[in-house]
Amino acid sequence: MDIGFSPEETHFREECRDWLHANVPAETRPLDAADAIGFDKAWQRQLFDAGWAGINWPTDYGGRGLSIVQQVIWLEEYAKAHAPWIGANFVGINHGGPTLIINASEEQKAYHLPRILTGEAIWCQGFSEPGAGSDLAGIKTRGRIEGDELVVNGSKIWTSFAHVADWQELVLRTEDGSRRHSGLSWVICDMHAPGITVRPIRKMSGQIEFAQVFYDDVRIPLANVVGGLGNGWKVAMSTLSFERGTGFIADQVKQGQEIDDLIATARANGMIGDDRIAHELAQMRAEVAALRAMTYRNISEVVRTGQPGAEASLIRLFTAELGQRLDRMAVALAGPEMLDFAYGDDNAVGDYLRGFAGTIAGGSAQIQRDIIGERLLGLPRSR
Amino acid sequence: MNLTPDDDQRAFVTATADWCRDTMPLEDARDRPADLWNQLEAMGLPGITAPEANGGLALDHATEVLVFAELGRHLAPVALPASAVAARWTGTRGKTALAVAASDGLRLLDGDAAQHGLGIFDGRIGHFALPAGLVPGHSLDPSATLVRLSAMPLTETVDDPRAALHLQLLAAAFSVGCADAARDMAVDYAKVREQFERPIGSFQAIKHMCADMAVRAAVARSQLYYAACALDAEDADTTFHVAAAKRLADQAALDNGRANIQIHGGIGMTDEAFPHFCLKRAHLLQFVASVDAAALLAA
Ligand SMILES: Cc1cc2nc3c(=O)[nH]c(=O)nc-3n(C[C@H](O)[C@H](O)[C@H](O)COP(=O)(O)OP(=O)(O)OC[C@H]3O[C@@H](n4cnc5c(N)ncnc54)[C@H](O)[C@@H]3O)c2cc1C
Repeated sequence: MDIGFSPEETHFREECRDWLHANVPAETRPLDAADAIGFDKAWQRQLFDAGWAGINWPTDYGGRGLSIVQQVIWLEEYAKAHAPWIGANFVGINHGGPTLIINASEEQKAYHLPRILTGEAIWCQGFSEPGAGSDLAGIKTRGRIEGDELVVNGSKIWTSFAHVADWQELVLRTEDGSRRHSGLSWVICDMHAPGITVRPIRKMSGQIEFAQVFYDDVRIPLANVVGGLGNGWKVAMSTLSFERGTGFIADQVKQGQEIDDLIATARANGMIGDDRIAHELAQMRAEVAALRAMTYRNISEVVRTGQPGAEASLIRLFTAELGQRLDRMAVALAGPEMLDFAYGDDNAVGDYLRGFAGTIAGGSAQIQRDIIGERLLGLPRSR
Repeated sequence: MNLTPDDDQRAFVTATADWCRDTMPLEDARDRPADLWNQLEAMGLPGITAPEANGGLALDHATEVLVFAELGRHLAPVALPASAVAARWTGTRGKTALAVAASDGLRLLDGDAAQHGLGIFDGRIGHFALPAGLVPGHSLDPSATLVRLSAMPLTETVDDPRAALHLQLLAAAFSVGCADAARDMAVDYAKVREQFERPIGSFQAIKHMCADMAVRAAVARSQLYYAACALDAEDADTTFHVAAAKRLADQAALDNGRANIQIHGGIGMTDEAFPHFCLKRAHLLQFVASVDAAALLAA
């Protein structure tokens, strides 16, 4: 075992650093999805043109075909350079694209992957419904087969970036009378198709980023089914494994920056003199270091065996809860200045309010603990 | 960068685990074979990183922590970390008792048949010859005897700061193993103990405690690997990384130790059952090369 990087990797790191230093936009990314979309697309295009999009995607689809270690190096330098959050490209880059790479047909890949990498096509994720969140197998949105089309009716909710997206990972019930995990399909849905209505929803931080989506006789070609009709559960699980696995490396690295900023703030305002605050900061600094070690361990496992270790679910839960404790510390250090918050402010309070998503979105902390207990530790199922 | 053990390391760990299970299972923690120490020495375990000239294997700390975590999982004698540090840094051989400083003098742990004692004093490793005629008594940890020394013995100091980091690292490895043992014991029990006509592990309140035990153990183990590699590579941040490893390992061992007892219910509190072995060991290790907040906040 070693924590050093090869000369080639170190050289790659320098390249990343130099490019980011010269190119990270000076302006901050707008908060509302509708305002940010232009920014997100332009930044993704700039990344692509310079060869930084899809570092470990196959070269056939516009990626660089480099190693996962290089991908991590890029993300580390990205966070250190305070480069903007990937924003509306999150779904396409972090789990839509990877799902297609594994499950889609050649035509589907050839059409969609380059568009995702260039930022030309924005994707969103239509999994959750008003009646089915944690219980994804309980979804009711239906796709009736008519000739070579699916006719879709129903509703999805909490769909991040739905109102600015071009395509959607849509999971629906395509088999009449099917129950639970069977009879589902994972479909590429054109968000501009007739019959789709999007109602944006405001978060408690004031931000408008997710939405409810209604489908009223929306026609989707059967050719847009990914991984075969009726195989939706399996494909959705691979999407979630990307979403919960490598999708959060950038966040993990960012937490490393945050803790040092918090310690500096606590020293500056004297609150470090409070033993409980000093203790918690010390604890989190150790945990942030361990998170990097955990990520490296997981990546090493991918390199060794070709797959992420089963421990990815541990990292996901740990990152989410540590992130929220960092957010809470930031507002504790702000004191009554916290009350000055107004919608549109991009500060620690906004981060804290948005950060509640960490243990809800992409599988709640409770669901993650079930997964760890059942799949990793082999405990009997609860349900 | 590679934080996963190679084939040789895996083989070493497996051999150690098999041997531990046969020779010193956790369940026998208070009743170990009389010649156990000789067997541990014959396996080369106190000398993994010691120079060959001192009878050691001259391997790296990364290998050493993997093996020590395994030893810790079986609640191996606490003289092992002290003896490994002595073999690496003081040139002495043989069993070395673990010394813990307290306000009213020293506690010597696992000093039976030992010639030397070793601990951290003012941030540096100090070692000393054991006075003759010590009579070991009981400690909180049933696997470790204890002697109280009211006067500080004449101590030789190891100036190299890496020696103290070495002890901190190996104590962390023992804690990681201890946290693993508590997690596994709790999970195994949760699978077989039935109430309300189902295994208690199917209740989320229990399952989620087990999941948290798994997270704590994995977090601590990851940082342990990183810290060992940092010490091997003489990384500029080694002091921080070793301290972080120790802090997280101690906490994992303590928290998992407590949760394990809760998950066992009434039997978990008995002297007859084994969960208290893990908890008590965690409390012992907490006082070895302990970490204060300032060490983790330093730049
Ligand atoms: C910011 C944000 C962005 C999101 N973006 C998207 C998106 O782009 N696309 C998408 O499809 N979805 C998205 N979601 C939805 C997200 O996946 C769901 O919110 C999540 O899966 C939880 O579902 P729910 O909201 O229906 O809560 P529920 O499932 O109703 O859960 C309510 C509470 O009950 C608990 N609970 C539920 N079941 C169990 C159980 N079996 N055991 C123990 N506790 C349980 C939960 O942990 C939670 O605390 C987003 C959510 C948020 C907050």
